[in-house]
Amino acid sequence: MTAPLDVSGSAAEAHPESVLVGAGKAIQGRSLTRIAWMRLRRDKIALGGGVVVVLLILVAVFSSPIISLFGHPPLEFHQDQIDQNTLLPKGTFGGMGAEHLLGVEPVNGRDVFSRIVAGAWISLLIGFLATIVSVIIGTVMGVVAGYFGGWVDQIIGRIMDVFLAFPLLVFAIALVGVMPNEGFGLEGDGLRIAMLIFIIGFFSWPSIGRIVRGQTLSLREREFVDAARSLGARHGYILFREVLPNLMAPILVYATLLIPTNILFEAALSFLGVGINPPTPTWGGMLSEAVRFYTLPHFVLFPGLAIFITVLAFNLFGDGLRDAFDPRAH
Amino acid sequence: MANTALTQTYNPSTKKGGTLKAAHSADWDSLDPADTYYGYSFNFGRYYWRTLTTYKTGAGPDGNTVVPDLAEGLGQPSPDGKTWTYKIKSGLKFEDGSPITAKDVAYAVARSFDKETFPHGPSYLNELLDWPKDFKGVYKTPDVDYKSAVEATDDTTVVFHLKKPFASMDYVVQMPMTAPVPKDKDTGAKYKEKVVSSGPYKFETNEIGKRFTLVRNDQWDPATDPNRPALPDRIEVQLNVNADDLDNQLISGSIQLDIPGTGMQPAALGKVLPDPALKARTDNPTIPRLWYVSVIPENKPLDNIACRKAVMWAADRVANQTAFGGPVAGGEIATNVMPPPIVGQEKFDLYATPENKGDVEKAKQALAECGQPNGFATTMTFRSDRPREKALAEAMQQALARVGIKLTLKGFPSAAYFSDYAGNVNYVKENGIGLATHGWGSDWPDGYGFMQAIVDSRTIRDAGNYNLSVKNPEVDKLIDQASAELDATARAKLWVEVDKKVMEDASILPVVWAKSLLMRGKGVTNLAYNEGQSMYDYVLLGVE
Amino acid sequence: MVTYIIRRLIGAVAMLIVISMVTFGIFFVVPQWAGATPEALASRYVGRAATPETVALIAERLGFNDPVVVQYGRFVKGLVAGAEYDYGAGVEQCPAPCFGYSFISGQPVWPDLVDRMPVTFSLAIGAAILWVLAGISVGVLSALRRGSFFDRLSMGTALAGVSLPIFFTGMISLVVFSYGLGWTPPGGAWTDFTVNPAQWAYNLLLPWITLAFLFAATYARLTRAGMLETMGEDYIRTARAKGLRENQVVVRHGLRAALTPLLTLFGIDFGLLIGGAVLTETTYTLPGLGQFAILAIRNQDLPQVMGVVLVAAGFVVVASLVVDLLYAVVDPRVRLS
Repeated sequence: MTAPLDVSGSAAEAHPESVLVGAGKAIQGRSLTRIAWMRLRRDKIALGGGVVVVLLILVAVFSSPIISLFGHPPLEFHQDQIDQNTLLPKGTFGGMGAEHLLGVEPVNGRDVFSRIVAGAWISLLIGFLATIVSVIIGTVMGVVAGYFGGWVDQIIGRIMDVFLAFPLLVFAIALVGVMPNEGFGLEGDGLRIAMLIFIIGFFSWPSIGRIVRGQTLSLREREFVDAARSLGARHGYILFREVLPNLMAPILVYATLLIPTNILFEAALSFLGVGINPPTPTWGGMLSEAVRFYTLPHFVLFPGLAIFITVLAFNLFGDGLRDAFDPRAH
Repeated sequence: MANTALTQTYNPSTKKGGTLKAAHSADWDSLDPADTYYGYSFNFGRYYWRTLTTYKTGAGPDGNTVVPDLAEGLGQPSPDGKTWTYKIKSGLKFEDGSPITAKDVAYAVARSFDKETFPHGPSYLNELLDWPKDFKGVYKTPDVDYKSAVEATDDTTVVFHLKKPFASMDYVVQMPMTAPVPKDKDTGAKYKEKVVSSGPYKFETNEIGKRFTLVRNDQWDPATDPNRPALPDRIEVQLNVNADDLDNQLISGSIQLDIPGTGMQPAALGKVLPDPALKARTDNPTIPRLWYVSVIPENKPLDNIACRKAVMWAADRVANQTAFGGPVAGGEIATNVMPPPIVGQEKFDLYATPENKGDVEKAKQALAECGQPNGFATTMTFRSDRPREKALAEAMQQALARVGIKLTLKGFPSAAYFSDYAGNVNYVKENGIGLATHGWGSDWPDGYGFMQAIVDSRTIRDAGNYNLSVKNPEVDKLIDQASAELDATARAKLWVEVDKKVMEDASILPVVWAKSLLMRGKGVTNLAYNEGQSMYDYVLLGVE
Repeated sequence: MVTYIIRRLIGAVAMLIVISMVTFGIFFVVPQWAGATPEALASRYVGRAATPETVALIAERLGFNDPVVVQYGRFVKGLVAGAEYDYGAGVEQCPAPCFGYSFISGQPVWPDLVDRMPVTFSLAIGAAILWVLAGISVGVLSALRRGSFFDRLSMGTALAGVSLPIFFTGMISLVVFSYGLGWTPPGGAWTDFTVNPAQWAYNLLLPWITLAFLFAATYARLTRAGMLETMGEDYIRTARAKGLRENQVVVRHGLRAALTPLLTLFGIDFGLLIGGAVLTETTYTLPGLGQFAILAIRNQDLPQVMGVVLVAAGFVVVASLVVDLLYAVVDPRVRLS
């Protein structure tokens, strides 16, 4: 479930701990995966989402060859396309045509198509890596809380509460705004991307953490864990060999659903002007420019649609994935 | 017709009455005359305050000259230029009917000294006047006599004592620090909530950050004031209005005045410029403001003048102009530092290139001379909440890439730009900042008023600098010469020399001499562009 | 019950302390990494071309010369015991909770926050009513007609709804309905409810609808899932077997159980929204807490930032406490201990 992102986008994750409980009850891990895959194959909408996701990843990975195929680098100015006085594109429909598929930007005449393609790379990169960060933090915290329980669980529970009560977007803006431009052996865009990944990932781990905690709690009471414990297995062994493998399915499902949330988070930060530094194109950044030129439909619509299609595709696929892993929904 | 109000009064009228509706897309720094430093605030404030002198109202070049307001005549300097005496008119009254005397003016000047209470206001008088050592302001040291700096020798005479001779005093006292404040009504930092009027209007309501209303001040005597026709009965001001909505309201006529007076938003430009009927309602003045790029000689290789010259030659002036809004909304391509409206300005161009698009060959020669034939890498800063500065940085990056100069762009919030980043010496050194977007407008239209703050290297301190790049002893020497020169024509010539020296030093890359596209509100009468205010002359306005 | 509330409140206060410390720390520690001196910090808050003396005075006045811990202590003291503010001509009492005075305008922060609360609250309450009504009814209908065209269409729309960034839908809606058709007021329109309720609703209509669209999607999907789950339970079968009419079964037994988990979500969502709907308020330039937060950050106005962050976090805490108390009312099995 993707959270509605106005303030933070982390609220909706609080609920569905129950959905996956019992996933491993009757069926062993392996066959579960197989059954899930069979279910997923029958879900045409989810598969459609999956195909779009794969296409988007391909576009992102091969963005440079795609751009060079059309011949207009995303940073190249085309000021001959711009009316000097109004700063708007001279051509109709924002200069759309064979030369510039989706028209050109006002002021500098940069090619909108190639900027959207290049923006896919940033969006997906941050979406994926930030999710990995939250999955790692969330899993560690969730497993520790669920497995050890007691005061450990209490403390981690409180920490998660703090994160949920945080006006995250406000906070992230403040943080990104004051970040230095060099550090950790990185500089410029590299550092900026790393920062955004870390900040977004760091703020969205409690959603995964809660789910993992719930799962771990129920797994802890399961016979095979009891058996291992009575055989004298150490905590480390139980955690890594018994608990974690059984958490993989829910983690995968919720990670898939967290990616679109994080993509929206990045877009929101860029929209508010605290994302990647210009001139590197991002969808959110393009939309924030579009606010000043709201009379240009092509300039508003295309970056917005890019965000929409990407997030929707991930949501469709993740949704199908969850249904496939959840026997009770069928 | 477009540009009518630049040279004459548009729709002249003496008809009184009606309500003038004005709006502001942000908020004042303060309504207190001691604590404000925006051009629109100086302009608008004349509705409710009077100063010793003021810019001559109306259109045309005379608007650059100052005329008496509270004072009977302009200031009388002593032969050494260190004492300035102003005689004020009699029969002046505050809104409560109490008389305005020289004491109230001297007190206002003294209270403006306290920058802890009034951090926003100009500090010219703090620096020019000979304040007693133990004077910390009228609130902290109420018993210290400040007559060594400013005194009222009788009810109608104000005398300023300066530390050193200063020629432009008449320009300084048109600023609101000399607007009288009654001592018994002074509430320090809270005075802005209830300013006591000395002008033709007084506050009826004042909701800080939202709106306020001015109504006629019946104690103001028009016989003492030839500058203000005071036509409307009421003036209503809305604050923090959405900027795009403000433009639309101005076009449709539901408001009549855009207070900041800096021009329209891009979305409105796209509507107004192609439409002859709307365009006819506009005026497009060049204002005394330069948008530019500081070329900072702090770090290698820009400490070498040849490398700075390479930047000058490589820049694409047309692309820069477009980034800054184009020839109408942005400005005229600037070739040197001082903008045309500055008195005595001369236009010259040391780095002329074909069609103003930069000269790659000359830039490469300069690079070779600098020992960087393949170019170099440096960082350029800009204010991230200013789209035009962002566009300028992007344009510079494209243009300089042609000669192998690789720019990394870094945006920072305006609020901390000069304190923490571009104007912070340590930050600039440690982060290898080479270029920084910058803009400057004059406080009054002469060389000192425009140039001193941005080219005098002796103003540079650890943080909060506005002179980011000009560190040239010869420039400093010329500034001293110019400041001491009492002959106006010779002084203007010296400022042109300063300008030339800075351009030779290649530490400022001028972008545009700003123009603003102003729209005349529907139903507004008696409207004229004033060069001293570099906006419409607000106190002249009336409504039909 | 009372001890439970007290314990929760103590936890909430501890949480707010942590949040305030982190926010405060970020504003001072991060610039110090970058080598900022007290004077550098102070020069953010003075007018242009201020003299070094002015900057030093302001640094002293704003307390930047003290260690961060001392400054934080002063902030907390102001919150708990109130503070004094020297406005030059005299000293003003700022009663607790005193969030201090803006570094830039010198205005007290708390009245400004109170002033903006109605805007954000109006935005949140109207949108919440819309999204709860729309979300739940669509969710129930979808669940009852599972697999139908209506179900597919509404679930598809719902998924599209959560995938649309509000700054995009907001901008499009403004361009189409306000600037294009002229049906709705332009961005920035706000009238207080007490001044003119009709105008109030008319001005907020567009933000309400766009915001509700975003949230309704989530609620519809969760309601549907919850209904599907509960309608399969044994007690529903029992209720049917008893001969209850179908809509009684649905409303009295099915819906009640399906909606209980939504309460938690609603508490947090609503709490977060009344703390400042940053993106919505930015898009529609509404003068609420979210816009205030953005401006405060842009201006690096620490007292304002602290104020809005704490108020926002406070709302979430209170909302989730209220929700937990409501549980005890709605679900008799829940005991507060």
